[in-house]
Amino acid sequence: MSGRAEIDAHLRGLEPVWEEGMGDAYAFYRPRAAPEVALAAAMVEAGLRLQRLGGEAPDPSRLLIGDLCLARASRLLAETRDQRLQVGFASAVERVAAAATGGPPAPPLRDLLAATIAGVR
Amino acid sequence: MIVARRLQLPTSRPTEFVDITSRLQDEIAAAGLRNGRLHLQSLHTTLGLAVNENEPLLLEDLAATLERLAPTGFPYRHDDLVRRPSVGPGEPVNGHAHCRQLVLLPACTLLVEEGHLVLGRWQSVFAVELDGPRQRQVALQLDGDFGGRRTARPRVVLSSAVEGARQAAEPEAGPGLHQERRLVELELARQLLVDPEPVQLPMRRLVEAGGKRVRPLLAMLSSRLGRRVDPLQAAALAGAIELLHDATLVHDDYVDEASTRRGRPTVAAREGASTAIAVGDYYFAKAVRVIAQLGNPDVTTTIARAVEAICLAQIDDVRLRGAFPGDYETYLKVVRGKTAALFAAACRAGAQLAGADEALVACLERFGDLLGIAFQMVDDLLDYSERSGKPLGQDIRQRTVSLPLIYAAEHPDHGGRVRELLAGPLDEERVREVQRLVIASGALDRVGEEARSLISTALGILEERGLDRVRSPLADLARSAIDRVR
Repeated sequence: MSGRAEIDAHLRGLEPVWEEGMGDAYAFYRPRAAPEVALAAAMVEAGLRLQRLGGEAPDPSRLLIGDLCLARASRLLAETRDQRLQVGFASAVERVAAAATGGPPAPPLRDLLAATIAGVR
Repeated sequence: MIVARRLQLPTSRPTEFVDITSRLQDEIAAAGLRNGRLHLQSLHTTLGLAVNENEPLLLEDLAATLERLAPTGFPYRHDDLVRRPSVGPGEPVNGHAHCRQLVLLPACTLLVEEGHLVLGRWQSVFAVELDGPRQRQVALQLDGDFGGRRTARPRVVLSSAVEGARQAAEPEAGPGLHQERRLVELELARQLLVDPEPVQLPMRRLVEAGGKRVRPLLAMLSSRLGRRVDPLQAAALAGAIELLHDATLVHDDYVDEASTRRGRPTVAAREGASTAIAVGDYYFAKAVRVIAQLGNPDVTTTIARAVEAICLAQIDDVRLRGAFPGDYETYLKVVRGKTAALFAAACRAGAQLAGADEALVACLERFGDLLGIAFQMVDDLLDYSERSGKPLGQDIRQRTVSLPLIYAAEHPDHGGRVRELLAGPLDEERVREVQRLVIASGALDRVGEEARSLISTALGILEERGLDRVRSPLADLARSAIDRVR
């Protein structure tokens, strides 16, 4: 994946979310990771932001779009066949989700994802 | 009040540590014990009890320790059958086993709080076979506050003495499914045990409320087929698939504003929407991680694609509520994503994990797809059954795409009125009228027949050569999917 057209192909159904901050997140991760991984990281961020984790619950349609962001990120990572990335990203979501319910505090999601990416470069 | 039970334990080896933790937890749930004590007692002189860690290498150490304490070949006087009085035929030579039981517990008491055994993170409860293989029994008594809802098989007695006579009456799934089901339950309990309480407790309530476990059982059975059969890895996959499914249910229940699931309040209804969202996310991520840690990229990809299909279908499902009741093609598309995708993926991933041939993997995937569609059709029928654990007419109220409604809307006599009712506001009176019309239209029979036909086709797939090892239990599982409404 190198160009905008390929990114668009992975954004099917998520185009509005790109404008809502996913694009900015992608711009943050892209210098640090391959395009698929950067896009997956941006999707995880966008998904949890849509779902307002730990805050007031969003309306159902935003929850479902958030689920789709997480699921597509997971599929992108699966296709990289990089187990460390898959485990690292999933662990980051686990930590942030647990913290949102009053579990152990977690660092910011972006720090966790960036650390995972840095660990496998 | 005291509830008395007997656990039946068939053992398979001379020395064996049988982890009975999940079975004890099942008994607590079945009795509805909220807070109190569980007393257990071995009914044999060569079967002990222990509380320790279920770690395979440690269990080997413990067995070796018993062997050192009371070696098998030692000339025990108990084994001198010539000198012993009243020795019957078939008397075992087992002095070592009796001596070993001295260091184990003949009985113990465990605490129960909020419906759960109070155990440390690494503690499991074992029945320790010292002279197997045999059929063993452990007596149980539960006492305390029975404020919980009994989940099954109420067995209240005031005197436990007579209870031993009625043992092993549990209905089981097909004979080939018993071990798989036990492994899945054990794995689910193990996976949940290590999670932070705020997410663990809501998910435990959902998991322990029941569920048919069809998806994990499909994965377990499919994993029998390849060159790398590993029941523990298969159980990890199966448990993760069930948690993934449950995570989607937690979010669905918020989206559908459902108040109950499996006869209990939904996570959103009990804990609030914000917690439900976080719990769903946590277990989605955990399941993905556990599957990734299996180290099989094909399995990871199979499950990831299925989860994406589920999410897309769920979005479609909500969007299509404006076009209620929809048509057959739309229904099939949504059902394939919402339900059948994970059924098919469970079959495919189980077989991939075991390294099965691609032809068999494809067969099983097709079987799972058909079973998943049939399963959802039967689920639609349960909306008209009081046995479902969900409020009747929920699909109508939620304007969910549902095959009985689609067929009823096509009926020459009743279809017009059905469409008219569905187009307007749905108060309880109109919901009941829709239900009556669906029944009068024969739509339920039609859907039931279609589900049976799909199962029949699915069973035909199982005739494929190479599926001998799983044909019978998969067929049992498929039939049980449509038996739910009989």
